[in-house]
Amino acid sequence: MIQLNRWVSPAYVCLPLAIISIVITFNLIQSTLPDLSYRSFNFSVEFSTSEATEMSKAVIQFSVLPRITIALLVGAALGLAGVLMQQVLRNPIASPTTLGVASGAQLGLLLATLFAPGLLAFGSEWVALAGGAISLLLVLSLSWHRGLAPVAVVLAGLVVNLYIGALSTVLILFHQEEFRGLMIWAAGSLAQNSWSDTLHLLPRLVIAVILAGLIARPLSLLELDESGARSLGISVRKLRLVGLGLSVFITASAVSLVGIVGFVGLAAPVIVKLMGARSLAQRLLWAPVFGGLLLLTTDLFLLQYSAQLPSMVPTGAMTGLLGAPLLLWLIPRLALKGSAPNTSTMPFQLTSKPNPRMFAWFLALLLISSIVALFVTRSAAGWVLTDTGQWEAIANWRLPRVLAAAGAGILLALAGATIQRMTANPMASPEVLGISSGTAVGLILTIYFSSNITVPLLIVSGAASAFITLAVLIFLNRRTGFQSERLLLTGIAIAALFEPLRSIFLANGDPRIQQVVAWMSGSTYYVDFSSGLSAFLLAVVMVSLTPLVARWLDLLPLGRNVALGLGLSVDKVRLVLLVLVAILTALATLIVGPLSFAGLLAPHVARMLGLSKALPHLIGSAIVGALLMISADWLGRQVLFPQEIPAGLIASLLGGSYFIWGLRRY
Amino acid sequence: MIFFFLALMSLSVEAATSGTSQPMGDYPRVATVDWTLVETLMSLGVVPVASAQIKDYQAWVAEPALPESVVDIGLRGQPNRELAASLNLDLILISPLFSAIEPTLSQIAPVQTLTTYNPENNFWQNLVDTTRQVGKLTNRSAEAEAVIDHHRLRISRLKKHITEGTPSLLVVQFIDDRHVRAYGKGSLYDMVINRLGLQNAWKGQTNMWGYTTVGIEKLTTQGYLVIVDPIPMSAEGVFEDNKLWQALPAVRSDRVLSMPAVWSFGALPSAVRFAEELYQALSEQRAIESDSSTL
Repeated sequence: MIQLNRWVSPAYVCLPLAIISIVITFNLIQSTLPDLSYRSFNFSVEFSTSEATEMSKAVIQFSVLPRITIALLVGAALGLAGVLMQQVLRNPIASPTTLGVASGAQLGLLLATLFAPGLLAFGSEWVALAGGAISLLLVLSLSWHRGLAPVAVVLAGLVVNLYIGALSTVLILFHQEEFRGLMIWAAGSLAQNSWSDTLHLLPRLVIAVILAGLIARPLSLLELDESGARSLGISVRKLRLVGLGLSVFITASAVSLVGIVGFVGLAAPVIVKLMGARSLAQRLLWAPVFGGLLLLTTDLFLLQYSAQLPSMVPTGAMTGLLGAPLLLWLIPRLALKGSAPNTSTMPFQLTSKPNPRMFAWFLALLLISSIVALFVTRSAAGWVLTDTGQWEAIANWRLPRVLAAAGAGILLALAGATIQRMTANPMASPEVLGISSGTAVGLILTIYFSSNITVPLLIVSGAASAFITLAVLIFLNRRTGFQSERLLLTGIAIAALFEPLRSIFLANGDPRIQQVVAWMSGSTYYVDFSSGLSAFLLAVVMVSLTPLVARWLDLLPLGRNVALGLGLSVDKVRLVLLVLVAILTALATLIVGPLSFAGLLAPHVARMLGLSKALPHLIGSAIVGALLMISADWLGRQVLFPQEIPAGLIASLLGGSYFIWGLRRY
Repeated sequence: MIFFFLALMSLSVEAATSGTSQPMGDYPRVATVDWTLVETLMSLGVVPVASAQIKDYQAWVAEPALPESVVDIGLRGQPNRELAASLNLDLILISPLFSAIEPTLSQIAPVQTLTTYNPENNFWQNLVDTTRQVGKLTNRSAEAEAVIDHHRLRISRLKKHITEGTPSLLVVQFIDDRHVRAYGKGSLYDMVINRLGLQNAWKGQTNMWGYTTVGIEKLTTQGYLVIVDPIPMSAEGVFEDNKLWQALPAVRSDRVLSMPAVWSFGALPSAVRFAEELYQALSEQRAIESDSSTL
């Protein structure tokens, strides 16, 4: 009886969705087909009856019905891909996007549009598939020597995503008009005008389902620990590769047709599991069903009501937007037993002494880079070394940017070092907490709804949204004592709001987008001297305050119990640190925008240099952060002169390259 | 006959304006990041010292072509200020779209913000006002009035030649094989259509710039379907074998008009260019229709 219950209980969520879908579909068809409803067709004033009937038949046959089918198929494909990925990675929040498949596919299409449009005529799905596969290969090769351990794979995926995202943003920034079509694709529109997409996806989905069925049994043994699975005669590595490969293949086939559909691949498996589908076989059955219905219901709602909106809201972005609150609701209900970040990868307490000579070297480098950034530049006549006679140009245009870059770099590095030590997770960073995304969401909405954008308005709305985000973070985590995994999950959920909003903005080709993209990419462009100076002074003050929190940050990485035993009131300390990180991040976001690779990278570099005690780690991170941002800002002004690339993008590209190189041995 | 006359008209005005554009110095050294304002400046015979994203301007606005001497100062949203500062500018023109950079640019030269896209007001009047303001700011008030009159005259002449009872027009630009931009109230195309005494068939909602993105199944018009170039490569397949496309009333009755690229966010010259191209497309369509009816 219980057994039977388990098998059918996900139907309790699927059934209502199915009923809603049927009702809306019936409604839609009724309002489209005049001879069904006896109501006058919208355009009947101008149409003869037979022509109207002909047209509405064509709309139903080649637009409405294929759209319903493709929604079901894409949702099912993503649900299936999600189950496989979560099973293989033993990670309840893994999804196709985690491994960079979607962003890789997007970069592939962007590059093909610009440099080889002939490839697109040949078949854009193959370009997308190649892009997705290459970025997956990159992710896998980066984590290969660690036996594709779940943590290493997700880690590598995160870095590759950031890196590819930065590359894509540079292209979008400079080629806004060429990418009109691709931006709609990136937001995931399910609009159809023939059955060709269905005919393309259906056989692939059928094959994937059959293959998934074949490997279901051995895959379910992965829930045991690895040695257990191995003792049963399974090659764990091969099995994982097959599972991942299948998952990526089906994701790429679906995504290349309709674009990036957020969240379904993550939500469908998680929700059916919560609804009682515990075994892999049950999840393999129910997640595609639920995923398909989820996407279909969302799409039908949009189809029904989107005519009232002046902007197009593509379905893929919409599922992303709906997904964020749902994810926030889900987090406290997720069983996170085996998924805690592996603390053994964090050698925070190495006893190596910080080397004072190294600090001197880094300070010297910082000085040199500041001097170069202030005095050397390209001009219309080539490279010039500005002498002090042109002090005006330096003071007006370069000094504020150098100060702001340094300030933002320091603030972000401090925030990053703090959050990494606090959560004992080397991949934690300010953007993972969602503060920068929350700020960005507020700013995007402000820009969207106001016709006259001024800098003070942006600052007020940015600060307000940063604190709303912080309040949400604290509210949702107050019961669990700010546990690191849940904190990071909350942050990821908040960050998930940002991407769909950006996609909607981009998909509508709003002329304001270039400015928004530039700011979102981390630009020091809008900084004037007084705000640059205050950013820098603020950063210096923050650095001088670090000894106050050094002891906490020495103890927290030892784990909750040890820290408690040593007399630290862990929950209270975590709250204080969280507020601190939020303030640091919000300040930095207001200066240079939300793309802040510095917060992830600088603490990493500092730690790789052997700075493992809290105080030297924080200060070392601050120096590296400033160095990174100053160099990035300077390079951004020179590389494509006279066009300027935002510092955040350059920092991501520099940082990403370093990371990919560093991860090889990590 | 009418084309000859139009060509003659445009020749005479171009001669008038190009004659005044020769001497430098009787107008200020002006730079702008907004392509609509570049177009307006050029129509007054004022060659800007600097503009933004010139390569993209040449691809998307194309007419009027910019001389080699114009300095590219980078992105429209983030022009290179150091470069701009080195050009001894007297005046910088921007649109409200770029109001975020107004404070910083005003350190280089006086900045004037000109509003062309304002859904509250009559679009034609906006364009006229902008042209007048640009004329005033660049000591070209007389030229501005001449250009305004000239363009007004051209459109009203075209209007007289438009056949009574021409069907309504649905103007779209293809984005990919599934989506188009439909231009409605608040867009340049819509303004021109109304000014020519024609009907725009798109009555749906539009954004602040007068367009909206829709699927091709929405293009159910009984009138003419007007496709403005460029057509992206990904959309080309639609015209060959797409059943939904073929079921569209305008396609079934051969009422699809194709037009060369005209910058959809343009100023007076773009508006008149659109009017002329539209008139030509309509005439050709009429010729085809009368041919087939006599057969």
